[in-house]
Amino acid sequence: MSAPLSDSEKARIIERMCSFIPHCRQLGIRLEQVVGEELTLRLPYRPELVGNPETGVIHGGALTVLLDQTLGTAGICCDRVGTMITPTLDLRIDHLGTAPAGLDILACARVYKATRRILFVEGFAYSQSREEPIARATGSWVQMRELDLNRLLQTSQAGAQQQ
Amino acid sequence: MSLAELIKRAPDADTLALWLEKIPYAVYLGIRAEVRGEDILFILPGDKKLIGNPTLPAIHGGVVGAFMEQAAGLHLVARMTAPALPKIINFSLDYLRPARLRDTYASCSLTRQGRQIANVSINAWQDNSETPVAIARAHFLLPGVD
Repeated sequence: MSAPLSDSEKARIIERMCSFIPHCRQLGIRLEQVVGEELTLRLPYRPELVGNPETGVIHGGALTVLLDQTLGTAGICCDRVGTMITPTLDLRIDHLGTAPAGLDILACARVYKATRRILFVEGFAYSQSREEPIARATGSWVQMRELDLNRLLQTSQAGAQQQ
Repeated sequence: MSLAELIKRAPDADTLALWLEKIPYAVYLGIRAEVRGEDILFILPGDKKLIGNPTLPAIHGGVVGAFMEQAAGLHLVARMTAPALPKIINFSLDYLRPARLRDTYASCSLTRQGRQIANVSINAWQDNSETPVAIARAHFLLPGVD
């Protein structure tokens, strides 16, 4: 394993990944920040994402997309893992509350344990304050050591998480 | 008619379409529903805007989850004796295969409906229901219980 990536190198890879994934581009999901081994992605509020037309609250499913993307990207920020393709094995989301209508949603994630083959990742989503998450997520991802994400991103047909 | 009023109607094919039309995110994903005997079949049409992995290409795993969560919610409403909008408590999703860029189907079963909580399991597939792309479980809080 080579030297750990700097925060700005990690950020560059994640930004490229967000722009390579058609559905992330569609929703405007973008990198908010990388701090060490934790990343934050932002999902801009859009009327199409509303789940309850009476309240304007964003659909739980849109949070699933954001959390799957954020937790699935956390491997890039984990110094023991780096740029590897990691398909999702499972994902569990606890819905703790709802974001007020009109606000962007942010999601943070980090790998809390990396074994040789599996990444155990945790994260949460919030709108107004990190201290008041609206959802919490845990999941596991499989490391595909034979598939280097960086190399894939350098080719034009790049992809990110498998599925 | 508001969604809350609409869900009090019997869940035939027309009503299911009307429910889905009221939910902006379901419209955005293009979710459709068909009544098949006693079952409801949910359909997520393959669409390039939903791609999460352009190399395969495959539908974004989060979108498959979102589709299954929406299916679970409507399935539950359709089975309630006094329909009301349920609130999701948590959602647990196992990915089994990549969902390729084509139509994805989901069917649900109401594993248990208690007084306050409902447990719904969801199966999503593409080729046939015996080889799911993902399976999931959701808990919902039923409204209107003191």
